[in-house]
Amino acid sequence: MTQVAGPVSTAGAVIDASSTSQVQEAVRDASARSEALRIVGAGSWLHAGRPVRADSSLCVRSLAGVVEYVPGDLTITAWAGTTLAELDRVTAEHGQWLALDPFGSRDGTLGATVATSSFGPLAASFGTPRDVVLGLQCVTGDGEIVNGGARVVKHVAGYDLVRLMTGAWGTLGVLTMLTLRLRARAPVDATYAVSISAPLGEWIAAYRAASVSPLATELLHAATASTLGLGSDMTALVRVSGNDEAVAAQEKALAELGALRAVSGEAWAALAGHDASRPTAALRLSHRPARIADVWELATAIARDVPDAVVHATLDRGITRVVLPRIADADLVARLHAATACTRVFEVLPAVLWREVAPSAVSDPLSQRVRAAFDPERRLNPGILGEA
Amino acid sequence: MTTAALEGQLGSIVGARYVRSRAAELLVYESDGLPGYRKRPSLAVFPGTRDEVVAVVQLLARERVPFVPRGAGTGLSGGALADGVVLIGLNRLTRIIDLDPASRLAVVEPGVVNASLSRAAHAHGLHYAPDPSSQAACTIGGNVAENAGGPHCLKYGVTLNHIMAVNAVLPDGSVTSFGSADGEREGYDLLGAFVGSEGCFGVALDITVRLTPNPPAVRTLLADFMSIDAAARATTAIIAAGIVPAALEMMDAGTIHAVESSIYAAGYPIDAAAVLLIELDGLAAGLDRDVERVVALCEETGARGVRVAQSEVQRVKLWQGRKKAFGAMGRIARHLFVQDAVVPRTQLPNVMASIATIAEQHGVRVCNVFHAGDGNLHPNIPYNGNDPAERERVHAAMREIMQACIAVGGTVTGEHGIGLDKLGYMPLIFSEDSLNRMCRLRDAFDPQRLANPGKVVPVRSCREWHGFVGREAPLRAAAAS
Repeated sequence: MTQVAGPVSTAGAVIDASSTSQVQEAVRDASARSEALRIVGAGSWLHAGRPVRADSSLCVRSLAGVVEYVPGDLTITAWAGTTLAELDRVTAEHGQWLALDPFGSRDGTLGATVATSSFGPLAASFGTPRDVVLGLQCVTGDGEIVNGGARVVKHVAGYDLVRLMTGAWGTLGVLTMLTLRLRARAPVDATYAVSISAPLGEWIAAYRAASVSPLATELLHAATASTLGLGSDMTALVRVSGNDEAVAAQEKALAELGALRAVSGEAWAALAGHDASRPTAALRLSHRPARIADVWELATAIARDVPDAVVHATLDRGITRVVLPRIADADLVARLHAATACTRVFEVLPAVLWREVAPSAVSDPLSQRVRAAFDPERRLNPGILGEA
Repeated sequence: MTTAALEGQLGSIVGARYVRSRAAELLVYESDGLPGYRKRPSLAVFPGTRDEVVAVVQLLARERVPFVPRGAGTGLSGGALADGVVLIGLNRLTRIIDLDPASRLAVVEPGVVNASLSRAAHAHGLHYAPDPSSQAACTIGGNVAENAGGPHCLKYGVTLNHIMAVNAVLPDGSVTSFGSADGEREGYDLLGAFVGSEGCFGVALDITVRLTPNPPAVRTLLADFMSIDAAARATTAIIAAGIVPAALEMMDAGTIHAVESSIYAAGYPIDAAAVLLIELDGLAAGLDRDVERVVALCEETGARGVRVAQSEVQRVKLWQGRKKAFGAMGRIARHLFVQDAVVPRTQLPNVMASIATIAEQHGVRVCNVFHAGDGNLHPNIPYNGNDPAERERVHAAMREIMQACIAVGGTVTGEHGIGLDKLGYMPLIFSEDSLNRMCRLRDAFDPQRLANPGKVVPVRSCREWHGFVGREAPLRAAAAS
């Protein structure tokens, strides 16, 4: 029997796989039974809420652990079920880190982060998973083990299966193993909260002219800043790293932009974890960075009527993110989209709204042929991309 | 359709003077930057507008004629060679369509030369970061096809990381868009698949690129070592220290000699076993502190001396030696076999030792000049291609060098692509299932298998590829008659 899985519940039986061959076996079994699989990692976050038509769930959470880590290479290979927290722990021992900070808990898995192409404020400097993943192994919908990319930092041999799998929500293959680029930690890594009292457009012009080169700069709505204990003004949360001289000079430059306070780096974790309460709707409005002040104004005006709405923006990347914890009606979402004229990417929506406001982005003939090349019978997460 | 009839129809799209069919005119398109391969197209067509490109591809799709897109022809893998099929030259599409300094974006036609985009952006304090050594000639369209790299990719990333959107004509003649100038797009990352697809997935009509702010301060250092091993260890030490140089390049004695005896002489120490060319950039504050740290790390690992360029003139001179090194090797012998492989950074000392041993065993001379910070090697061999015995020794040595790189967990190309040259290495790094899946992806983009036939994925792993020969044969016969 085919069930429609909601964001939290899992459909039918749960198959646990702790090796690539077990994933392959599960996919082949499903195929033999003409059944579909919902692919699950930690199951704790990044539930898109799109209705998946699956008979059973394939859980890769126990497919976890580091496969290979040579710190001097600044790369790490790990199984897809490894949590981000575990990668943080392992790499920190060598003064390194994975520069991916998706919104949600660090208990989420690497596989889910890559499959959903989730990222956070650090994308301004280090890009999104497509820029961080170097190589991968996956099991295709017809049960073959396929590799893409490599374990080195530059690789252009063959067609790019890594980019294709990243952000495909598991519909082209079940991710089993990933190789990622790591960064060495700089001697100083500081975070500042800068109050914004000038009109936003003027403030941004001053910010761009300042001698700063932050790892991340996130604009926080006054209410969001307040929830995070960062005061009651609209605030820029700025992360700067380098040697002490470089950081001190940037602190000075930032202080010219508004009242500045050094805050704990935990502020970033608090911002990321802010959504952990399972919002009803979360969407990103992507736009050219020059439009940020306009988009911010429109988005905050529309979100103003929604209790506990969170609005924040990755300034140097041109992404304004709106999180609606309770009410999310189609009209509001449509107004946000129409008024801002941005490319919108939904992270979460109530199941009933998907069809109405977010038509599938994979219904074009080319995307369908690509899907057919990897999962010809649509065994993997069918429906998760809104496809018919 | 005969070649003559096709020539006529192409001429009616682009104008007769932009279709070339005489052997003498086609000679220049017989090879790319890697002189070891020669393949002659049956026709070469040079559309002048986006609409003409689309019309040309539509005609070829309708007639089922295979084609090869080509930019400046500076590629180093034989990827832009057309063997008896139609070559589409994109060099006339050289417009910078839009330059948006506020959002740090530019929209360019595929024939825009890499360096000219950076020149145009310079007035706004911006540049286009990927900088292949051929940047004075190579095109953004070609860079997209190859996912090109360059010295400054160490800090700033390769072509893929700087491409936001592409409008392309697919091999079936339909026009589609990949990515978005807004930065994100739902659905599959078809842009990511298109970049680096070596002209097999279609022809780019316009490309939206990210521009990078010019660094306020730059320091360029030349560190001089008495052994390659010491230079390799210095490289690893710098990266591990948490300093990300803008570039970290190594040149060995063979390369230093070639450069210093050429017009590109940069003042490299001719008695050194290796030099590292290290560039640090960013905000002025704290930069000299990082320079001091890098100098100390080089000295700790055995540098004989470290020199910091004191002026822009000195800096440009140091870089010119590096960027023109391949050209300088032309003084040594008629032909140059340019190689491209990547190894994990910590394996650099081992691999450099293996390369030296292999070169000695085969009696060939290897000149190493490469992106050490990325572990991206270019062991190049100057040779006389007219001597069959020497040619065979060079090929044998190259095969062993590549096997040595693969053995330590490396890959067979970091920035030059597979093209024709590296087809044979693909089964060494990918399983048959993986190669077959790549073929199926290619079929999703190009079900008729018309675009850049015979490249990237080896024929023997994909039995279905035999279709090519049958389709291109009539055209080749017509061309010969």
